[in-house]
Amino acid sequence: MKNLLVIFMFLSTLVVAQEYSLSGVVTDASNGETLIGASIYLEGSSVGGTSNTYGFYSLTAEQGTYTLVISYIGYDTQKRTITLNENQKLNFEISESSEQLNEVTLTSEEAPQMALKRPEMGTLKLKTKTIKQIPVVLGEIDVLKSIQTLPGVTNGGDGTSGFNIRGGAVDQNLVLLDEAIIYNTSHLLGFVSVFNADAIKDLKLYKGSIPAQFGGRTSSVLDIRQKDGNNKEFHLSGGIGVISSRLTAEGPLFNDKGSFLVAGRGSYAHLLLKAADQDNSASFYDLNLKSNYQLNGKNKLYLSAYLGRDDFSTNNFGSNYGNATANIRWNHVHSEKLFSNLSLIYSKYDYQILLDILKMDWTADITNLNFKYDFKYYRSEKIQYDFGVSGIYYDFHPGQIKPTAADSPINRYQIDPKYAFEGGLYLNAEHKISSVLTGYYGLRQSSFFRLGDQTIQKYQDDKPVIYNEELGIYEEGIVVGEESFSRGDVMSEFYNLEPRIAFSYQLSDLASVKASFNRSAQYVHLLSNTTSVTPIDVWMPSGDYIKPQLGNQYALGYFKKFDNQEYELETEAYYKTVDNRIDYIDGSNLVGNNYIENELLNGKMRSYGIEVLVRKNTGKLTGWISYTLSKSEQKTDGSDVGGPGINYGDWYAAGHDRRHDISITGIYKLNKKWSLSTNIVIQSGRPVTYPNGQYSYEGMSIASYSQRNADNLPVYHRVDVGAIYTPNKHPNKKWKGEWNFGIYNIYNQKNASTITFGQNADTGKNEATRTAIFGIIPSVTYNFKF
Amino acid sequence: MKTYITRFIQIILTSTILLSCTDVIDVDVPTGEPRLVVEASIDWEKGTDGKQQTIKLSMLTPYFSSQEQNEVVGANVLVKNLNSGAEFTFEDQNDGLYKVETFLPVLNDTYTLTIVHNGVTYEATEMLMPVTDISSVDQSIDGGFSSEDIELNIHFQDPVNMDNFYFFKFNRIGDLLSFIEPISDEFTDGNLMKESFEKVDDEDTDKKEELKSGDVVTYEMHGISERYYNYMQILVNQLGSGGLFSGVPVELKGNCINANDSKDFTLGYFRLTESIKGEYTIK
Repeated sequence: MKNLLVIFMFLSTLVVAQEYSLSGVVTDASNGETLIGASIYLEGSSVGGTSNTYGFYSLTAEQGTYTLVISYIGYDTQKRTITLNENQKLNFEISESSEQLNEVTLTSEEAPQMALKRPEMGTLKLKTKTIKQIPVVLGEIDVLKSIQTLPGVTNGGDGTSGFNIRGGAVDQNLVLLDEAIIYNTSHLLGFVSVFNADAIKDLKLYKGSIPAQFGGRTSSVLDIRQKDGNNKEFHLSGGIGVISSRLTAEGPLFNDKGSFLVAGRGSYAHLLLKAADQDNSASFYDLNLKSNYQLNGKNKLYLSAYLGRDDFSTNNFGSNYGNATANIRWNHVHSEKLFSNLSLIYSKYDYQILLDILKMDWTADITNLNFKYDFKYYRSEKIQYDFGVSGIYYDFHPGQIKPTAADSPINRYQIDPKYAFEGGLYLNAEHKISSVLTGYYGLRQSSFFRLGDQTIQKYQDDKPVIYNEELGIYEEGIVVGEESFSRGDVMSEFYNLEPRIAFSYQLSDLASVKASFNRSAQYVHLLSNTTSVTPIDVWMPSGDYIKPQLGNQYALGYFKKFDNQEYELETEAYYKTVDNRIDYIDGSNLVGNNYIENELLNGKMRSYGIEVLVRKNTGKLTGWISYTLSKSEQKTDGSDVGGPGINYGDWYAAGHDRRHDISITGIYKLNKKWSLSTNIVIQSGRPVTYPNGQYSYEGMSIASYSQRNADNLPVYHRVDVGAIYTPNKHPNKKWKGEWNFGIYNIYNQKNASTITFGQNADTGKNEATRTAIFGIIPSVTYNFKF
Repeated sequence: MKTYITRFIQIILTSTILLSCTDVIDVDVPTGEPRLVVEASIDWEKGTDGKQQTIKLSMLTPYFSSQEQNEVVGANVLVKNLNSGAEFTFEDQNDGLYKVETFLPVLNDTYTLTIVHNGVTYEATEMLMPVTDISSVDQSIDGGFSSEDIELNIHFQDPVNMDNFYFFKFNRIGDLLSFIEPISDEFTDGNLMKESFEKVDDEDTDKKEELKSGDVVTYEMHGISERYYNYMQILVNQLGSGGLFSGVPVELKGNCINANDSKDFTLGYFRLTESIKGEYTIK
């Protein structure tokens, strides 16, 4: 690693004249929030950069007098003349633009001036302000639903949790909230996401070239940053909606050297229930906390936390689950050119199921402790380095059953807890090779250690699953012994080198082409053999019987701006493969199974597609049209254990495959009071398995099925509309209110979320039953701020 | 227990989302190749001699067709006890049924089934599994999914320190469809176990379905093998399958094998069980 560092450092060492650096932090003038991705450049030169996730920037240029430009979408551009004759520190406060309140900030790159130059591919950024303008079901502003309007982002349909990026599975997304890993992104089984938009500053989705500082998932990174809190004045804001209400408090702390933000959101219990007369309830809440303290010009501390929970109960059943995270971070400016951040992060996901019928209680959790030390070194105008180290300690408790009464039929039982450590070292260089060519070279070295104590089963020929030739089915392997490991023993270890390379070549001032290659390893896996992932699916570490997933992605893109930069076109094509993707034997039993390896087969995935995004960034009408043509497939040929595999070893459609996906989002600023929006979605139905015959058994008609995922649900389509009404603002009045009206699925299309096949209890005839989760849904939300 | 958890999740999904609606629609489904269906359930009811046994053979039919005229006639059906060597030829009744009046059931003996149909030979091997006694049968109101509806409970003592698998079947007389469920003692080994039967109102039609005083319910309890348990788990989970939280449905292969062609498998199962049957009138 050390050698590599040296090689990277010497990639570009062309220092001619005396150079000086300019560095500082960019913040919002109204509330002191640091701005991520503001662009700072010297007019008329190629010197420029963007502020990092903590608002910090650094530029290096030859001695001289320049016009410095600071620009950020939705903010007034600031220009300042500076004379660079020594290293300087300059902080900037920029103001939100009053002219174009309707600025939509869906950008592939934060700063328009930088977009074409930087080799970042498949990157999308959304600001909360934009998210709040897209109409959503029941008026619940939703970060995850918003990103689904972008190309390459889909989900399993209405009422499903998680999201899929470029044909990847739900567990292949790394979802970070202020750097803490979020294991379950949904409340109410996919109804709303766990991210309260009031507490979110912005989000960035990496679906193509993933920077080397991120690791551990093969498909994407969704990096969500919480607001820091207003450090100028105290403010309260909130909203009253149809299913939940929100309240956020923020303000300065420690004589304006810090700030805090506390946001809470809770649903009204019982409201969602069809059988309201029964003692059933479903509810959720979450709490976001953020605080920071500026120790001095060089040091800043951040504290942030999240707690969210869902609670379901019916007679004799109960279930609750949620994520909890906490972290502490220390920003340090070593010099004008070197910035670092040290983070200590705790994250936990757990669930509990209470079954009174069986007088039992079932709990499971995954906990991790994570430390990260990241550096950014602005070596010269031509080259910047990111490097760092990280370590994650995991503690998996896949399940524990306890009797809850003396006469319970249940025996106490615990699935073996599992322990693991994931390490990462990385180095990135962003290199301006020439005025039109920029390269990005990243390398991540990841490692994973399964740790004791645990006793594992050993199988004949090391095969935890064998193919029963006679019956033509996969069965549990033959146990030949056990191997015990004590606390701290390394049970198995894995190392991977993950190169990340990208180039951008600027064809003209308005067009560029980009290409990238990305490799990533994934060491933890979500076990799920159901159509949609559920809150009670468990995470499993790699080990003797589950190999790490290895993903490769190749992408090529063309980017162009038209009509005085009013329109932008982005097209990308990608091809992605994942090795060691687990698949499940027929009838696999994943619940309460201590020997999960008996249910798994080793397979692979591939996906490929073309994405087109056209957007209009300015004017009264803004918005975007996205289209994705793609295919996502799996193949499990059984080559390692024998037998024909799944679907006779052929490539077959992954459960989240969507051939066509069109999404149109438009926002129209009618006048100062009214803003209208619409959202149009048309996509291919997801793959399903239909019966191909029936037979009589035990006096009933039994459906016979053939190949997994061989059919498709009907095409999904809907149109949503929304309107935001802002009453006249009195400049002196602190209270600001806003009405948000929406109609989801305006023509009440009954989109099949599922189609089930069964026998009618009265006639005995087989029938297909469609479940449409969301029909037409009007909603109204009132938001306020003072 | 697994069944309970999956069912719970499904109930939560359907009952939580007040906005969901269901309707019956027309769907074009594929038609698979013809397959032999074997319903060879050799059940030895406790207290009987178990001599009369029936095996049913039929063919797979298109999913939305009526099931008429799919019975298989003209096949040769033979069951053999591998321990004793005794052979039992099942006679063709020309209506898809094959019967024998002289069967000799022996607990824990291994039997083979041989079917010759259209010149092709299919074979299956299974063991006759014993079943434990029922301790009591009663009814309750607050022990099931609904706190208002009556459920029928069968209590039995699971034998300790061994894996046991059971198959239950309940039918309220007059109902077209039965309730079937395989269970295991995985988390309840050696304990007093309970299997419940409860009817819950149909949410879509608001039809009153629950058990009422005077209803007569027939029940069956069988001791079954682990392989048959695994088979029935898949079969039961796939009844009304296709939901978001149910597994992806799969091709369910039975245990009657064509030794010469692994792709020519059959549906249905050759099972041998000791069983208890009874009737209960709801009070």
